[in-house]
Amino acid sequence: MTGAGWRLSAAEVKEWMEWLLAGGRRVVAPAGDGGLVLFRQVSSAGEVRLEGSAHARWSPKEFLFPRTETLMSYTFDDSNSIRLAPPRPAEMEQVLFGVQPCDAAGLMRLDDVFLGDGDGDQLYADRRRRTAVVSLACAVARPECFCTAVGGAPDGTDGSDAQLLPAPDGYLLRALTPKGRELLGGLDSGWQVTTDKDWAQARAQAERVATEIGRSPLPGDLPGRLIGAFGLPIWSTLAERCLGCGICAYVCPSCSCFDITDQANAYCGTRCRSWDTCTLAGFTRHASGHNPRPDQPSRFRQRVLHKFAYFPLESEGRLMCVGCGRCVALCPVGMDIRSAVDNTATEVST
Amino acid sequence: MSATAGARTVPETHCADSEWRPKIVALVCNWCTYTGADMAGTARRTYAPYVRVVRLLCSGRIDPLLILQAFEQGADAVLVSGCHPGDCHYVQGNLYARRRLTVFESLLDFVGLDQRRLHYAWVSASEAVKWSHLVDEVTAKVREAGPLGKWARPAMEAWQPPFELPEPGPEPRPKPGDAESAAITGHLRELAATLLDSEQVKLVIGHTPGSLPGQMVPAFVRSGQETGVLAWNDRCAGNLAVYLPEMVKQAGGRVAVVVKSCDARAVAGLLRENQVRPEDAVLLGVECAGIWHEDRLAARCHSCAEAVSPLADWTLTASGAVEGSVPPQTERATGPDPRSAQLAVLEARPAAERWEFWQREFDRCIRCYACRAVCPLCYCQTCIAEKHSPQWISTAIEGPGNLAWNVTRAMHLAGRCIDCDECARACPADIRLDLLNRAVAGEIADRFGYQTGSDPGLPAPLTTFHPDDPDGFQ
Amino acid sequence: MSASGYLPQLMRISSQRDETSDVRTLRLEQLRPAPLIWRAGQFGLFSVFGLGESAFTIANPPTRGDHIECTFREVGKVTTGLRRLSVGQVIGFRGPYGNSFPVEDWRGKDLIFVGGGMGMAALHAPLRYVLDNRNEYSEVVILNGARGVADLVYTEEMVEWASIRGVKVVRTVDPGGETPGWDGEVGLIPQVFEKLGPQPDDRVVIVCGPPVMLHFMLQSLDRLGFHPEQIVTTLENRMKCGLGHCGRCNVGPFYVCRDGPVITVAELQLLPPEV
Repeated sequence: MTGAGWRLSAAEVKEWMEWLLAGGRRVVAPAGDGGLVLFRQVSSAGEVRLEGSAHARWSPKEFLFPRTETLMSYTFDDSNSIRLAPPRPAEMEQVLFGVQPCDAAGLMRLDDVFLGDGDGDQLYADRRRRTAVVSLACAVARPECFCTAVGGAPDGTDGSDAQLLPAPDGYLLRALTPKGRELLGGLDSGWQVTTDKDWAQARAQAERVATEIGRSPLPGDLPGRLIGAFGLPIWSTLAERCLGCGICAYVCPSCSCFDITDQANAYCGTRCRSWDTCTLAGFTRHASGHNPRPDQPSRFRQRVLHKFAYFPLESEGRLMCVGCGRCVALCPVGMDIRSAVDNTATEVST
Repeated sequence: MSATAGARTVPETHCADSEWRPKIVALVCNWCTYTGADMAGTARRTYAPYVRVVRLLCSGRIDPLLILQAFEQGADAVLVSGCHPGDCHYVQGNLYARRRLTVFESLLDFVGLDQRRLHYAWVSASEAVKWSHLVDEVTAKVREAGPLGKWARPAMEAWQPPFELPEPGPEPRPKPGDAESAAITGHLRELAATLLDSEQVKLVIGHTPGSLPGQMVPAFVRSGQETGVLAWNDRCAGNLAVYLPEMVKQAGGRVAVVVKSCDARAVAGLLRENQVRPEDAVLLGVECAGIWHEDRLAARCHSCAEAVSPLADWTLTASGAVEGSVPPQTERATGPDPRSAQLAVLEARPAAERWEFWQREFDRCIRCYACRAVCPLCYCQTCIAEKHSPQWISTAIEGPGNLAWNVTRAMHLAGRCIDCDECARACPADIRLDLLNRAVAGEIADRFGYQTGSDPGLPAPLTTFHPDDPDGFQ
Repeated sequence: MSASGYLPQLMRISSQRDETSDVRTLRLEQLRPAPLIWRAGQFGLFSVFGLGESAFTIANPPTRGDHIECTFREVGKVTTGLRRLSVGQVIGFRGPYGNSFPVEDWRGKDLIFVGGGMGMAALHAPLRYVLDNRNEYSEVVILNGARGVADLVYTEEMVEWASIRGVKVVRTVDPGGETPGWDGEVGLIPQVFEKLGPQPDDRVVIVCGPPVMLHFMLQSLDRLGFHPEQIVTTLENRMKCGLGHCGRCNVGPFYVCRDGPVITVAELQLLPPEV
C-alpha cells in the first residue's frame, strides 16, 4: 500500500506515542539507559529518542526473545513430590517503536527459528502475537551498515506493521499490515494525507542512503558455495584475533541460540533459558570434555556459515543476517563479518 | 505489570507467611567461632534465632563467592567470623582472609550494598558471650535494614542516573601529530622485519588499520615481508598482551609484541603469575603520547607519566628504534585522572543511590564476557563463570548473576588489574567497569600501600599478608 | 505444542540397575499415566530438578511401552545428581524427540549391532524391538565391547539374548581389560569385527560408540566392502532444547535433536566433521 499514508510533524508523532501509551500498551523505543541508547520501555513520549544519531546500541530482540526467561518453576514439597508451574504468559500488548528496518527484518529471522516448524515455541509465539512493530526508515548510513548486501534497504518493510520515514519537516507514515492500521486508532483522520511527491522524496532519500552504504546484494548462490568453504585454511587467519566473547551474537538482531539452566535451592527453583552463543568455547563442549568445535576458528566459522550457508539452505535462501553491522561496530578487536564472507567467497571460488 | 517480557516468576517459597524473619548466614571457622557458638548453646545463652551457621575449616577458606551466593540464595545478611589474628589453627589463614575480605567488603560497599548486611568479627572458642551479643547485634541491624528486596528486578525501562558523573576536564597534553605516528610506524615496520628475518622472534603482534574509519585492530605478522601492515597511532587502544600466552604456545618460539606502558604492565602481570616466561616475550615499547577516542584523551592516560615502559626490550620513538627502555628526556604533562573525580562523586552519594546506580549498570550486562575476553589478566582456562558444579554464578542474565559476575571479576582482579581499561572499552553496554576496578585499586593502595605496576617480582597484595594489616573486624 | 513445551512430565524411579561402577539404568513410571508413544532411537530430556536436563536415548523399545528406561554414565552435573537419586524419587521427562531407527525397513535383513562402551545404550531400544519381533528379521549379531570386563553393560541381558535362536552375541574387551575368568574376545571392536568377517550382502550394521571407535569401525566396514548406506549410527552432540531451536546441536544444516540422532553414514559424510 505504498503511496497511501500520512504526514506527521514530530509533535504529532509524540501525540501518537502518548495515545499508544494511554491505551495500556507497553511502548518500547530507543531511550536513554545510563549513558547509552537502548530499546527500553518508556513511560512518556519525551523519553523516546528518534533522531538519527540516537542509534540503539543493540536490537530490540530482547523484547521478543528475552535475555533470560522462565520456562517453568517448581517447588519441592518433600523429597518425593514436586509441583511444576508453567511460566506466566505474556499479558500486555507491546509496540516496538522506532525500530530500524534491519532490526525489524531481524525479528522475522527469530520468527523463522521459533515459529518456523510445527513445534513452534509457545512462549515466543504468545509474545509475538501481542507485538506490533513500527519501524523508522534510516536517514543516515553508518560505516558498519550493510543491509543492502543481505536483502534489506534503508526503507525496507520486512517485519514492520507500520513505518515512519524521516521527511524534511517531520515524518511520513505508512501502515503496512492490519495490525499496523489498528495502531493508528483512528488518529489518522486528523493527519495530513501524503502526496506522491512525498513518497518520491522518501524513496530518493532511501536510495541516497543505500548508495552511501555502497554494498550490492550478495549473489544468490553464495550459501551453496560457502558450504564448500568449511575445510578451507582461511578460517584460522580470519579468526586469528577473535577473543571468543559473545558481543557479536548478543547484539545481533537475528542470533537466537540459548542455554537452559536450573536455579534452585532446597525448596524451590526455576528453569530458565538465557542467551548463549556459538562463539563461546563451552557452547558445544560435552560433559566428557570432548568439544566438536575445539578452537576459535571453528567457532567463528560456525557463526559465519550458519548465517550465510546453513540457515539459508533450509530457509529458501533467507540469510540469517540483516546487515545492521552491530557486530562489526562493537567487536573489540574489529572482526568484520562482511569481509569474512567476502574473503571466504573469493577463496572458495579460486 | 511493570516487569519485562522476560520477567521471571518468583517461585513460592515453602514458607510464605506474612511476617518477615531475617535470614542471616554465618560463615564461621570450625576451630574458633563454631566452637564459640557451640559453647553459647551448651551454656544455654539465648540470642536471636535467625542465624544459619555454615561451618568451614578456616576463615581463610571463605571465598567472596560464598558471601555472594548466600545473598543470592536469599540471605538478608552475612556474618563472617573466625579465630582472632594470631590464633589461627592453620597459623595464617585468617590473615589472608582479613586482607581479602576487607577488600571485598569495600567493594560491596562501593556498589552500594547496605553495610548493615555484611559483618565480620573475630570470635574465639571461649567467646560464647561475644557470639550471642554479636548475633543479637547483627539481627538488630538487619531488622533495621529490612529484607534485601528488588534483587532480581529486570529493569527494562528507560533510566537516567539520579546524579551526574563529572565530564573529564581539559586534556593535559595535545593530540600527537600524524607525522610522529608515521615515523614510529616506519621504525616499527623496520624493526619487526629485522627481528623476524633474523629469526629472533617467530611472530610480531602489532596494530593494523581495521575496516571502520580510524579503527585499529590487532595484527599478527610472521615474516619480514608482511610488516608493512603494521602501524602505530593514537588510536591503538587494544592491549595486545592478551594474546601473548596463547601465541607463545602456538608460535613455538619468541613473540614480539607492541606495547604501550599500560600494556607492558599486563605483561608484567603475566610474568608475575607465570603465564609467560621472560625469554619468550620481546616487548616493543612505543613512546606513547596517549590514546585518543575521537577528540578525547583516554581517561587512564591523563595520569600516566610513563611514556615508555621500563620493561621495554626496544624503545620506538619518532626518531628511531633503540634497544632497551629509553624514556624521553622531557617529563610529560599529566592532569588529574577524570575517573578520580567521578569516583569521588559516586562515593559521596548515599549507599542506596550507589546501589541503584550499580544495579542499573549491571542490569545492562548481557553476559557476553567481552570484559573477560579482552583482559590480559583473565587467563583462566575455565572461568569461575563457567563452573557449574556448583553453579557459583547464575547464568541467568539478570540481577543476581549479573552482580555476582561483575563483582567477582573485579574481586579476582583486585591487586592484579593493571588499569588498561580494556574491559570498559570492550563492554557493549558501557558499564563503568573502569570505575569498579579503579575503586578496588584505590582501596588496595590505601590499605596496603600497593600499586599494580611494572615490577614482576612484587607479589600481588591478596596473595600475601602482613601481621599489622588494617583490621576492620569486630 | 502447548505452553507446556518445556514442562516435563513427572516420572518416578521404579527400579534401577547398576551396569558398571558409573553407568546406571533407570526404569521410570509416569506419575500421571498418559499415552506415551515413541519409536526406537528417539531420545528424551531427563531432568533432575534443581540441576538441569540431560538428553538420553529411550533405552526400551515401544513394544515394552508401559514405562521408560534410560541408561546413563555419571559424568556431568545432571548425571551425577541423577545417580544420587534412589528408587521412589521423582524426575522429569520430556520427549520423545528426534528421528528413529528405520526398523521397519530392516525387515527380512541380517542385522549387526556394534556397540562400544556406553554406545550400547543407543542400540538397546532397536535391538530389543528386533528381538521382540524376532520372526520378522533374519540373523542378528551383537558385537559389544568395552575397555574392560567391568565396563561392559547389559551383562545379564546379553546372556539372555545369546540364547535366542539366530542371535549371536560376541563380547570383547580392549587388550589388558580382561580378567582371569573372561571367556569373551580380547581386542578392539574393529579388529574383532573384521575377524568375524561379515559380508556386506543385504546386511545392515548399526554402530554406536565413542568417536575414535566409530572412526576405526568405518574404516573396517569400508575394507569389508560395506556401503555407507548400509551403516547406521547415532550422533551425540550436546543438546539443550530438543526442539531444533537452541542451536547447540547444529552441524551444518542438520540439527541433531530434530533431524537426528539416527543417521546413516552416507548422510553423515555430507555433514561437516563436527561431531
